[in-house]
Amino acid sequence: MFHWLEKNPFFFAVGVFLVIAFAGLIEILPNFAEASRPVVGLKPYTVLELAGKEVYKKDNCIACHSQLIRPFKSETDRYGQYSLSGEYAYDRPFLWGSKRTGPDLHRVGNYRSTDWHENHMWDPKSVVPQSIMPAYKHMFTNLADIDTAYAEALTVKKVFNTPYDAPNGTKLGTLDEGRAGALEEAKAIAADMKNQEVKDAVAAGKIPEIVALIAYLNRLK
Amino acid sequence: MDIKGLQVYATFFMTIFLVVMLYGYIVYLYRSEKKGVKDYEKYGKIALDDEIDSTPIEKNPKLDNEDKGAK
Amino acid sequence: MQSNAALEYDYTVAKLFTYTAILFGIIGMTVGTLIAAQLAFPELNYLIGEYGTFSRLRPLHTDVVIYGFMLSGIWATFYYVGQRVLKVSMAESKFLMFLGKFHFGLYFVGALAVVVSLLLGITQSKEYAEFEWPFDIVIVVIWVTWGLSIFGLIGIRREKSLYISLWYYIAAFLGVAMLYLFNNMAVPTYFASGGIGSILHSVSMYSGTNDALVQWWFGHNAVAFVFTVAIIAQIYYFLPKESGQAIYSYKLSLLSFWGLMFVYLWAGSHHLVWSTVPDWMQTMGTVFSVVLILPSWGSAINMLLTMKGEWNQLTENPLIKLMVLASTFYMLSTIEGPIQSIKSVNAIAHFTDWIPGHVHDGVLGWVGFMTMAALFHMAPRMFKKEIYSKKLIDIQFWVQTTGIVLYFTSMWIAGITQGMMWRAVDEYGNLMYSFIDTVAVLHPYYTIRAVAGLLYLVGFFIFAYNMVRTMTSAKKITEEPANRTPMAA
Repeated sequence: MFHWLEKNPFFFAVGVFLVIAFAGLIEILPNFAEASRPVVGLKPYTVLELAGKEVYKKDNCIACHSQLIRPFKSETDRYGQYSLSGEYAYDRPFLWGSKRTGPDLHRVGNYRSTDWHENHMWDPKSVVPQSIMPAYKHMFTNLADIDTAYAEALTVKKVFNTPYDAPNGTKLGTLDEGRAGALEEAKAIAADMKNQEVKDAVAAGKIPEIVALIAYLNRLK
Repeated sequence: MDIKGLQVYATFFMTIFLVVMLYGYIVYLYRSEKKGVKDYEKYGKIALDDEIDSTPIEKNPKLDNEDKGAK
Repeated sequence: MQSNAALEYDYTVAKLFTYTAILFGIIGMTVGTLIAAQLAFPELNYLIGEYGTFSRLRPLHTDVVIYGFMLSGIWATFYYVGQRVLKVSMAESKFLMFLGKFHFGLYFVGALAVVVSLLLGITQSKEYAEFEWPFDIVIVVIWVTWGLSIFGLIGIRREKSLYISLWYYIAAFLGVAMLYLFNNMAVPTYFASGGIGSILHSVSMYSGTNDALVQWWFGHNAVAFVFTVAIIAQIYYFLPKESGQAIYSYKLSLLSFWGLMFVYLWAGSHHLVWSTVPDWMQTMGTVFSVVLILPSWGSAINMLLTMKGEWNQLTENPLIKLMVLASTFYMLSTIEGPIQSIKSVNAIAHFTDWIPGHVHDGVLGWVGFMTMAALFHMAPRMFKKEIYSKKLIDIQFWVQTTGIVLYFTSMWIAGITQGMMWRAVDEYGNLMYSFIDTVAVLHPYYTIRAVAGLLYLVGFFIFAYNMVRTMTSAKKITEEPANRTPMAA
């Protein structure tokens, strides 16, 4: 039987496939329903926060920052309550990262403010003198892609039944409503910022990447 | 039985099954060599004697009548 | 059976992939050295504006090296080894020839498109699976084409039994195909929302913890199937052929194969130890990672024993030296990985520089050396010229070996230092160090690592130069060498 397998490439390939597929089937599929249940009170991301998450992805913050607080005292002392599975229910994709060249960010919204982020993203050394993080000045001029963020929210609402427009939940509405909501949120953030160009842009109805990113970072709690 | 129980049983029996298969394979390999049914070590020569006109260790019977059986 | 004297192996496609292996090796390793230096000297982040930051370039480094350099190497060797162990020439089938060229063409175009997209920040932000859905589709087509090439070549073979190298190529093909497909399941938002926003954007089918599980099931295994399975395929052919010694135990190679196939896929969840995935899966990841030592060392020991009684070749033939060191590094990194997956060790090692350190002793020592040795072995046979310089290979060997040793030792120290500092508490139980203290302390190690990267890169340029001179200006050889690769002093 063994020898037969060795000489029949097709059945050999099937055999290999079964053996390697087995682990995935057992390990991954059955956990799906349970692990995707949100914690009580978790709201879906607003359009502006999603746009900020796109900035986080675009500049690949996960290269250096994790979003996963492990259940050790040294970590909960440093970053706060350890992470729960249900807190990530609306994270598509997950952004845990695999490397902490910089600190964890899962609850950065609890201890950093809009103006701290503004200074830090413009010039990290001005806030943390020994920092090795690069400055991200281009985020102050590049505009966030609000339409794509809205499209993502609408997609997860339609396809994955993410509870947008639920009572007391995150409002999504039509594209125009989504744009208007994002701008309103952006104005509140820009009010706490000092960069004049960013303020002017928001006043003119445009949303720079930095504003969206700060909205997202403030939401991480 | 719920899905978790299934998971556990599936893992357990599949692991046992594969371990038995693997050990069966070891026994098979060494016994067939001892009995002279099959010499596995000769396949190692496929890499050494690999000119296009050298004689195959085992000829592909599909090609006996004519050269190409494009499949 | 055949008396067709004119029939020869056709290396057209193997040559093409050899060129891209060199090209992408240079690009990927240059970027790697640059980002290593950025960690030590952050001013280097601003060389090309928004496109030159560490975070943008890091996926470019990993993807170009994995999918550019390594895959090119794997395919170059496949289109070489595949013909030889099946004793059939690609020239015998117009269809396979076309398929091979199509495979290369699409791959090259796809790879360039991916480089541009990563620089622009078009990404799913899933490690080693950054590419957005249109690129994924192209990648699937490339992969299927490779599969057709494998089974097409097998279909017209003269040698009935498949040599062990082919087993590994087939496994690499199947494993990566399955993992890549499942991990990249995503819904393009443009179509789902009725034409709003960017057409390139998509949203993952999985969320949160599930996404993490799928990603690391992919991340560990797909990369491992490229780093391990396809590289073992190479050493099982090239080491015996170059040394003239058949594999020490063919039976052991078969056993290790099935052992590896069964155990490997379970080990992925060791990337998620102490995370929010269920406990039993984390434990499973640890247990199987440790079991994984057996088949890995089975292969490695088999390779070393192949040299039994022939160790003099180690001093005489630099290619043997490269391959033996490669297997040694394979043993090192396959014992290091399981150690890191043990829960208590993982608590310190995870998120630190020990992890890149571990990856790099595998990829620089094992994958890099094996790929370069394979290409050196193939060059005289493909181009009908002897290797331009044996001396350069020796220099390259020592420069790169020094680089690797500096790399992993500095990262071991950096990782363990940082891991210990994160958890250090004073006598009252308060944290002793702020985060930035644990960054500042790493500066000397980051500097050493950058130097290490530079040494390896210099060695790779020596390799590239040697290869180019071999193709263009080395002495012609009239007859194909049986075993030992001919080289000019």
